Amino acid sequence: MEFIVLLTLLTIGYVFGRLAEQRHFASIREREQEYSDVLAFSARFPPPTTERIDAVLVDGNVVVAVDYFKMTAAALRNLLGGRVTAFETLVERARREAILRMKANARAKGASQIFNVKLETSSIGQGASGQSFSVEVYAYGTALVPTGTAK
Amino acid sequence: MEYENRPVPEGINVSAQHPLVDFAWMLAAVGLLVTVFVIALSLSAGWLARQVPMSQENSWAEAYLEANPRELSDHALRTQQWLQALADQLTARMALPPDTTIHVHYVQDDEVINAFATLGGNVVIFSGLLKAVDSENALAMVMAHEIAHIAHRDPITALGRGVAVALGLSAIGGASDSAMAQQIVGNVGMLSGLSFSRSQEHAADKAAIEALLAHYGHLNGAATLFEELKKMEPRLTPEFLATHPLTDKRIARIAEAAATAPSKETIALPGWLR
Repeated sequence: MEFIVLLTLLTIGYVFGRLAEQRHFASIREREQEYSDVLAFSARFPPPTTERIDAVLVDGNVVVAVDYFKMTAAALRNLLGGRVTAFETLVERARREAILRMKANARAKGASQIFNVKLETSSIGQGASGQSFSVEVYAYGTALVPTGTAK
Repeated sequence: MEYENRPVPEGINVSAQHPLVDFAWMLAAVGLLVTVFVIALSLSAGWLARQVPMSQENSWAEAYLEANPRELSDHALRTQQWLQALADQLTARMALPPDTTIHVHYVQDDEVINAFATLGGNVVIFSGLLKAVDSENALAMVMAHEIAHIAHRDPITALGRGVAVALGLSAIGGASDSAMAQQIVGNVGMLSGLSFSRSQEHAADKAAIEALLAHYGHLNGAATLFEELKKMEPRLTPEFLATHPLTDKRIARIAEAAATAPSKETIALPGWLR
């Protein structure tokens, strides 16, 4: 009985998790094209310019849930060692999504360049042995907005 | 322009391996490792447990019985004495380790068709079993089977294995930090444990057949209880999932041994017993 419940959870996790992941990746690729004119750099200082600019904080935040299948695959991988492929895609999705949201934020403020971009990651745990958790990625940076054009 | 954002390279974190294939491989590897681990642990823990002297086992059992005294009615006491006499007759035909005496305990519970052997040479017979057997021979088969477990020191072996395997599995399962992984590890461990249990049952059946042949000179009626049980339970469990060998196989083994033995009348149970 217990085994059937776990098998059901595993199937649900696999089917919906995979579907959600494929859709998310497709959406990410599409929006990366759309926001390709908003540039993001990790460099701390912008290039010298004669233009007058304002610095504005922009950020993007995303939380992606780990499905049951990924969690189980990762748990088995923990016993054996090696690349946790189930989580690699998850973290990549979260990272790219957070940057995209930050870019959307920058564009809304009238900026086309973001400097000093940083990413913060944390896991949101739940349950006695962390049985269900989500990964949070927070992207933030300094957007350069030409003075007088800030929205 | 000096500054640019190149497109994010795809496929660095997305592996070509299908997740289900990856999962199946991991499952197979963990299954194999756990099986080997459980077998090694069972063998060594079973061996260690058998080094415990029988006298030590007896003192544990005595301490338990003193702490849990039982009240028996006159009829139950008479039944228990009769069962003890049967056990003593069979014990005389079986090789017991030193310091071992068989104590039969009778439990009145008609719902339970069962008997079991436990630490300290104690055999427990349920009244349900007495109702289910049709002759002394069938009862003697069960009794001899339980005595054989004690002779083979199966109760202490099972205890040692049980504790060691449970500890070992919870150590692996706990390290993995996931309910599913614990479940997988637990189930695989249990399956390998069951095959040990079945081989012990087989050995006990074999010894019981020999004891019955020595005591009665024939095996008539020995298999009737198994035939009754077979009728009662529509068995869907495949053998590798069961603690005991399949009833069919047990009947077949008795029939095989009976083929070479002479055929004689079975002994009826005394009327007051049932």
